[in-house]
Amino acid sequence: MIALKYPDILLDSLENGHMIIDDKFIVSYWNRWLSINTQIPKGEIIGKSLKEFYPEINYKVFYRKIRTALVIGTPTFYDTNSSTKFISMNRNKVTTSSLKLMQQQVTISPYILHENKVMVSIYDISELFEAKLLIKKEIVKVSRLNDKLEAEKEIIDKNIMMVKTSFDGIIIDVSTLFCQFFEFEKDFLLGKNISIFKSPDIPEATYKELWWSVKNKKSWSGELKNKTSSGVEKWVQTRVTPIMDENGELSEFSAVYHDITNEKLLAQLYITDPLTKLYNRARFDEVINFIVKHQRKADTDFILVIADVDYFKSINDTYGHQVGDEALVSVANSLKNSLREDDLVARWGGEEFVIMLKNVTLDEAKMIMEKVRESVQKIKINDTISITASFGLTKYIIGEDTKKTFKRVDDALYEAKNSGRNRVVIK
Amino acid sequence: MNLEFNEDQIDTLKEFINISMGAATASLANLLDAFGTMHIPKIDICNSNELAQKIESTIDLKSMYYATKQLFTGRFGGECMFIISEDSAKNLGRHLYNVTTPSRDDINDAVIELTNILTSTIVSRLTQELNTQVQFFVPSSQFIDANSIVHCEDVSDYSKIIIISTILDFKDQKINGNIYILTKDEAIESLRVLIDKRIEEIYG
Repeated sequence: MIALKYPDILLDSLENGHMIIDDKFIVSYWNRWLSINTQIPKGEIIGKSLKEFYPEINYKVFYRKIRTALVIGTPTFYDTNSSTKFISMNRNKVTTSSLKLMQQQVTISPYILHENKVMVSIYDISELFEAKLLIKKEIVKVSRLNDKLEAEKEIIDKNIMMVKTSFDGIIIDVSTLFCQFFEFEKDFLLGKNISIFKSPDIPEATYKELWWSVKNKKSWSGELKNKTSSGVEKWVQTRVTPIMDENGELSEFSAVYHDITNEKLLAQLYITDPLTKLYNRARFDEVINFIVKHQRKADTDFILVIADVDYFKSINDTYGHQVGDEALVSVANSLKNSLREDDLVARWGGEEFVIMLKNVTLDEAKMIMEKVRESVQKIKINDTISITASFGLTKYIIGEDTKKTFKRVDDALYEAKNSGRNRVVIK
Repeated sequence: MNLEFNEDQIDTLKEFINISMGAATASLANLLDAFGTMHIPKIDICNSNELAQKIESTIDLKSMYYATKQLFTGRFGGECMFIISEDSAKNLGRHLYNVTTPSRDDINDAVIELTNILTSTIVSRLTQELNTQVQFFVPSSQFIDANSIVHCEDVSDYSKIIIISTILDFKDQKINGNIYILTKDEAIESLRVLIDKRIEEIYG
């Protein structure tokens, strides 16, 4: 083994402090690092007791550690996380430092056993300690955020209707509110296909549009009608959002629902005539105003019809209002059943009905209304009372004010009435 | 890699461990002025994922503990863990710092000191018996709940571990704790080779 020629140079070049001390705390070596960081030169401390310079050190504990190192022959240590510093040294770091004093790792190693001498090594672990403190702080922050997230998750679970499905529509999670609202057990729903909620009342095109959107990584919003497990129909405002995996590929879908059943019922009431269940005048006005305002070619091609029950006042006076109401309901049903789904039929007021026949010529409309007139004529209230109706027709001229259209159709109806009733007149 | 021990190897290891534990008790009496006993050590060779379960079976899961870990390296390397309850640790702090109410720093330092004496003595004595050398690293202590002492995922990279465990008991000072010497794969194989060599030296 080669003995080191200049051990002092070696120890002075180290970036940590080394002193040699005996069990009476007399210092026999003090390296350059210690001289610089303590501002105590080598010459001043060697041969003297450390107690003179650092009386605040707990010498009972220090002595025990020195003895342990000497007896066992292995190093002893101070707690590296301790806020009590072995020798207090200032840190000179100016930027982003949370430590004013140097955090130290102090190792006491056996040196010359028969002289009861140990080497005390001081390592600056401030950077490491700062990182540790920072991590600790971040962990606390993350843990707080997690708690908050958990609390919010619970709030969401109890207050928002939510479903998560796999790419192919298999339900993988549902919120408690969703289960309560649709009266299903969570375990029953998990693993089922979301299509169990599909309603025959919603056009197939709506579902196609929904799937097209989400499969193209776009969200879809719309109104859907679903049934609860006990068969109660519910309307829900739905927003389906695709969820991508880390490669940007579709992996799941999440859907959030909002109950709009009451709003739907109210809206239906707002546009429905309570007696005949046809649309009311407000709804008809809304539709015709929309058409006139937007002037879309597909919408403006229509025939306006006004139908009026003949001698209605006489029916009311002779048989009473109840029979009069029955007559109005029968005419309404006859109109609805004789026309196409696309045609708009509404109660205009009293015994008058208004009809919008789409995409037909005046002649075709006349033929249609003749058939309607015949079907009304066949109505028998209480198997005895016959009813007839008169019809005025006119074509809406693109761009014209609807007042003019109504004036023409009123004139046509007037003519039908004056020329004997139970007939169809075109203007 | 052969990680299995035969009966002779286990017996020899037990004997060495008993000698080491005896040396540790003597060191503690001498250095800390505390006369304690150590229970007969248990040696388990098990899968690494069983460690948490083994530790949990020896402690109260509702309590807080000081868990101190110290690494040692060399041909026989590993980790020594000392687990001491909050009350025992306070008593140790009182005893070593000679104060009625030790601070958290005092307690941590006391626990580290005790762990260091235990680890150094036990492992040094054991490696002395095995004719090999080790180096010790600075211990670190944490005040944590029982469930956080060992996380299964932290040790899952090792296939086998040896757990040498015992209970240290200072009746007068009301201090007791559990000591675990943990070593894994390569070190287990080294240990087996070293034991064989020693058996050869002793019995020829």
